[in-house]
Amino acid sequence: MGSIVEPWVTAENGNATAKGSNRELRHGRTAHNMSSSSLRKKSDLRLIQKVPCKTLKNILSNFQEVILGTKLTLLFLAIPLAILANSYHYGRPLIFGLSLIGLTPLAERVSFLTEQLAFYTGPTVGGLLNATCGNATELIIAILALANNKVAVVKYSLLGSILSNLLLVLGTSLFCGGIANIRREQRFDRKQADVNFFLLLMGLLCHLLPLLLKYAATGEVSTSLINNMSLNLSRTSSIVMLIAYIAYLIFQLWTHRQLFEAQEDDDDDAYDDEVTVEETPVIGFWSGFAWLVGMTLVIALLSEYVVATIEEASDSWGLSVGFISIILLPIVGNAAEHAGAIIFAFKNKLDISLGVALGSATQISLFVVPLSVIVAWIMGIKMDLNFNILETSSLALAIIITAFTLQDGTSHYMKGLVLLLCYVIIAACFFVDQIPQKQPNGTIVGIQPKNNPGSGFFSA
Amino acid sequence: MAGIVTEPWSSAENGNASMTAKGSSRELRHGRTAHNMSSSSLRKKSDLRVIQKVPYKGLKDFLTNLQEVILGTKLAILFPAIPAAIICTYCGVSQPWIFGLSMLGLTPLAERVSFLTEQLAFYTGPTLGGLLNATCGNATELIIAILALTNNKVAVVKYSLLGSILSNLLLVLGTSLFCGGIANLRREQRFDRKQADVNFFLLLLGLLCHLLPLLYTYVATEDTPAAVISDMSLVLSRSSSIIMLISYIAYLVFQLWTHRQLFDAQDQEDEYDDDVEEETAVISFWSGFVWLVGMTLVIALLSEYVVATIETASESWNLSVSFISIILLPIVGNAAEHAGAIIFAFKNKLDISLGVALGSATQIGLFVVPLTIIVSWIIGINMDLNFNLLETGSLALSIIITAFTLQDGTSHYMKGLVLLLCYFIIAICFFVDKLPQKQPNGLNMGLQPMNNVVTATGGGVFSS
Repeated sequence: MGSIVEPWVTAENGNATAKGSNRELRHGRTAHNMSSSSLRKKSDLRLIQKVPCKTLKNILSNFQEVILGTKLTLLFLAIPLAILANSYHYGRPLIFGLSLIGLTPLAERVSFLTEQLAFYTGPTVGGLLNATCGNATELIIAILALANNKVAVVKYSLLGSILSNLLLVLGTSLFCGGIANIRREQRFDRKQADVNFFLLLMGLLCHLLPLLLKYAATGEVSTSLINNMSLNLSRTSSIVMLIAYIAYLIFQLWTHRQLFEAQEDDDDDAYDDEVTVEETPVIGFWSGFAWLVGMTLVIALLSEYVVATIEEASDSWGLSVGFISIILLPIVGNAAEHAGAIIFAFKNKLDISLGVALGSATQISLFVVPLSVIVAWIMGIKMDLNFNILETSSLALAIIITAFTLQDGTSHYMKGLVLLLCYVIIAACFFVDQIPQKQPNGTIVGIQPKNNPGSGFFSA
Repeated sequence: MAGIVTEPWSSAENGNASMTAKGSSRELRHGRTAHNMSSSSLRKKSDLRVIQKVPYKGLKDFLTNLQEVILGTKLAILFPAIPAAIICTYCGVSQPWIFGLSMLGLTPLAERVSFLTEQLAFYTGPTLGGLLNATCGNATELIIAILALTNNKVAVVKYSLLGSILSNLLLVLGTSLFCGGIANLRREQRFDRKQADVNFFLLLLGLLCHLLPLLYTYVATEDTPAAVISDMSLVLSRSSSIIMLISYIAYLVFQLWTHRQLFDAQDQEDEYDDDVEEETAVISFWSGFVWLVGMTLVIALLSEYVVATIETASESWNLSVSFISIILLPIVGNAAEHAGAIIFAFKNKLDISLGVALGSATQIGLFVVPLTIIVSWIIGINMDLNFNLLETGSLALSIIITAFTLQDGTSHYMKGLVLLLCYFIIAICFFVDKLPQKQPNGLNMGLQPMNNVVTATGGGVFSS
């Protein structure tokens, strides 16, 4: 969920822009952090001031900053409930639902913590930290699903994250922003969007070729040969994709940093009211680090529950695993930055909304996906980049529609509405899709059709 | 037939007199759509001298009315095809003749319908007039589609609608840009790309809706029964149709209300005044309404003949039904606005040509197609959005090529030529395509291949 857009000039290389203020020169704030910071609350420290003991006071204020510092705090209750439900063997779908709800505030807190750490480490390392940990939830779910040999869940959830960022987050932001600013023309810098798009297209190529290998084969070629070819191609492509991503980081954080700085607006004053402008870190470096590690472990725990219970949840809720992985999981995982992107679009700061959505899509497509393939390679699991024709075509059309929509540098509500409706159609497509997908390891992913044509389906 | 709702001048309704600095009183009076303007190029000024000699006033008014409506177009010579077609049906003349005559008769009718909607727009105001155009603009395609549905010829529906979109995107646009480019060889031709862009991403939305049901057939494994796939495809198509209609309504809101200024064509100077003189309606509201209803009924009648005789015509002319539906029918149906778009391109008024062609394509893609699906849902016929691989591929590439060609806001004859040649290639593709398409009702849609492979595959193809 992290993008690396740094809207203000950083103090590190001393490039002060003409309008550089002290605040902006202090640290590099990423668009992602700014968007999530809209969900933050200013901590009310009066109660704690009354506590006599100093260390206790520090601990309590630390606690308050981290746990209670967000409007999503209520959802934190879902975490202990999920753990309880698991220990006492309540219904699996319940565990699934509670884990999903619990993941939402955790993702937001992780972004808060990475921002706090960025105060200490400086903007470049902070940007790097965001670039890797920004989509921590998706990465952890993917790796855990791999460890359980559920390759389909990995593929679907990663694809769903990209689709959700490209169509859902972007669509709702542009739509709400367009409605709120209906009399104004909304502009944004298309150069930044373009970089993301050609990287996404490169990722699409890497997905397309293994898919087409299957169709290029004539009748006599054995499936194992095709799978082998596909696997080798996927693994090599993953290495290339990671190289591209590293180059993208260099481009964004070092050589062409100025391209990614958002345009300064006149109405900066309006900005200060909404966003909690934290110019100094509110927690110490080591406590932040400890919290980060702790929260990542809790995310891992909840993701373990999610991955383990996804089939039973799908059976009992009557939805296919594909639908849950592609549509539900990413909505939950992206909820915090989704809200942030919409708020920024309302304020006509489209560069930030775009930075959040597109940067996140690029990060998942060019970092998390190839990383998953390589992790699978290390584990000895056969995961390739062939995401099957329906998913790959949805991805292709989503990228093409979004790229086309954003190519002129302006926006209005129709654009957002069209992207949103595309997402709804793709969701409907996966909702209706009842064809069980046969996986290489023989497990069935999907709802069985009503008329059972044969026992072939049930072979495991 | 191609109703688009670009309103090049500010409307009097909400008093936006600020639209252009050169806003004259004529322009402020009513909103004229690009479609109406393009068709008006085919109009003749009515010569009322003969009628003035008629003594009775009532008869004079009636004759004036008749002359305005029937003879007010250069296409009036095609009108005799209508009674000829009706007579042929009753005399039992061979069906291909009926088919040809009906097609000829449809051409002037479509043009007259657009004339009548423009006349009515004088009375109803620009917004309502725009809405009227948006719904009735492609009346011919809509009526043919619904009649074919009631005759359970789902393939003809799909082909004809697809052919209309292709014809608007490639043929009309290509010839306009080509002729306009040749005529204005020394000038740079510019147009406002924002208006074109809105149409394009709506068309891409429509393409997505066609693509996903098509892919269901490829996702299926060998064990999956065909009934499950067609069922899924049907459910997805029907929900997508509702979404497409929602987006079309949003498009109308966007175009007629909130972002109207985006669609006001750049104001042109005096050269415009020569062509368009009709500032007031030439027929009254009720007579216009009656004529509109009457002409729609005649269109329905001729479309009935077309739909009924299409198979026999295809066999006797040795063309596949798909070729006739995709290529011939839309050429006939679009002829009037085709001519208008070319004329405006000659005058370097590209915004209007683009408005005609792209608006029409959007209207068919996002209004007529989903409306047809919903009508078939109500009637109980299983029509889905899966237009088969060849057709969907052609549609995808034509949208992409056209979008890419128009994305920089300028034009020259090469662009038009390329679009035109793309259309020819697609036409040749369907001309050569002799594979019989198996329909759910077992109807054979194409020519039989030379070596009767068909009989070898058994009665599956011929069973109905």
